[in-house]
Amino acid sequence: MRRILAVLLLAAATAGSLDAGGPKPELLVFGAASLTESLQDLGAAYIAKTGQTVTFSFGASSDLARQILAGAPADVFFSADTAKMDALEAAGLVKAADRREFLSNALVVMVPTDSKAKIAAPNDLLALPKIALADPAAVPVGIYAKKWLTGLGLWERIEPRIVPTLDVRSSLSAVDAGGVAAAIVYRTDAAIARAAKVAYTVKDGPPILYSVAPLTSSRHSTDAAALVAFLAGPAGRAEFEKRGFLVVAPR
Amino acid sequence: MTAPTDLSIFLLTLRVAALATLVILPLGVGAAWFLARRGGPWRTLLETLLSLPLVLPPTAVGLLLLELLRRNGALGRLLDRAGIEVLFTWKAVVLATAVMSFPLLVRPARTAFEEIDPRLLAMGRSLGGRPFAVFRRVALPLSWRGLAAGTLLAFSRALGEFGATIMIAGNIPGRTQTMALAIFQRTHIGQDAAALRLVGITVVVAFAVVGASEVLGRRHARRSAA
Repeated sequence: MRRILAVLLLAAATAGSLDAGGPKPELLVFGAASLTESLQDLGAAYIAKTGQTVTFSFGASSDLARQILAGAPADVFFSADTAKMDALEAAGLVKAADRREFLSNALVVMVPTDSKAKIAAPNDLLALPKIALADPAAVPVGIYAKKWLTGLGLWERIEPRIVPTLDVRSSLSAVDAGGVAAAIVYRTDAAIARAAKVAYTVKDGPPILYSVAPLTSSRHSTDAAALVAFLAGPAGRAEFEKRGFLVVAPR
Repeated sequence: MTAPTDLSIFLLTLRVAALATLVILPLGVGAAWFLARRGGPWRTLLETLLSLPLVLPPTAVGLLLLELLRRNGALGRLLDRAGIEVLFTWKAVVLATAVMSFPLLVRPARTAFEEIDPRLLAMGRSLGGRPFAVFRRVALPLSWRGLAAGTLLAFSRALGEFGATIMIAGNIPGRTQTMALAIFQRTHIGQDAAALRLVGITVVVAFAVVGASEVLGRRHARRSAA
């Protein structure tokens, strides 16, 4: 028993290092899953430029917003839609004037590389048995796709075929693994697919608009605002464009 | 910032699991002692309450903790006023794993206490021992093996807890992401090979923990035979 206690104490004694330290506070950014690579690259560039460490937690914007509402210690939120940011603004966690909305994307339908399925029109989705889509009840990409298919009058017939996933990247890995006949993801996700190809690009979908803002609950609000300015500035825009995002007129 | 390495994920998991086990050790041993000594309806009620994390889905326990601790929750407001951040920090991981591991410590500890011959405790008291002295000098030495087994069991559970953790601590790389969460994360973004590496580490840890409890059991058997 003493030996067990000693081992536990030893392991726990190092727990002090669990709190982030350093000369400059570490900023925590909650970012939409589709932004993973761009934000990681921008984070590295930001550290090189300012010496400020940035950590990311990526996931469905709906999930991240829910965590922030519950009290997660994030400094910046980068949502794949404006609705989640509206919810945070309504809760007093974001100021309207601090929001930057300059980033857009497009939806694509992806199929496994060896798939014979031809998708010339949205109607062709009805021939597919399983379509991975991030939960259309909450996750931005799911909501965008549902809006698109509802507008075409197809949603009710496609819904039974939908395999809801946690976020856009789970849909991508489902189609990459060949576990589903297709997945609806962002065009920017297609670039990192390993065993899937774009079968259809959505042209008449609903407008997609990302939103980024520092959080009023942040303990490092000046640093958080500076990071948002960097992400929305020329360096950020160039990185996002390189990754295939659409940079739209700034708000 | 680059993704955390396998080693840093492992160390974070080890730290929070060890902390959680240390936090529940005095509470769990106290509860087990109480349950072993007292009878009546209170015992059944307390026992059921303490066993809830064993029976409820971990996500249900997580949700209850989340409601308690959220910004405008009963406890969350107090913590907020005191300037203590718990949710979605490593402290939340410790809390979630501690709550989930608690019954696994209490049950074997209670059994160990119940197996003590009550005459030995009575003897201790008749020799003038105060209740705490009897507990420390008679009960603890006689039941240490059960306590050790419970501690190891609780620690193992703490190492692998997932459901309650993801509800109240999220899955933040380098901050709240334990092995179980990292395996989940890596799998769902299609990095199966990287996830399997972590599975390999957990298998090694499992061998170490189970091995340790086997050694304890064997010593017990040898001593009983002698």
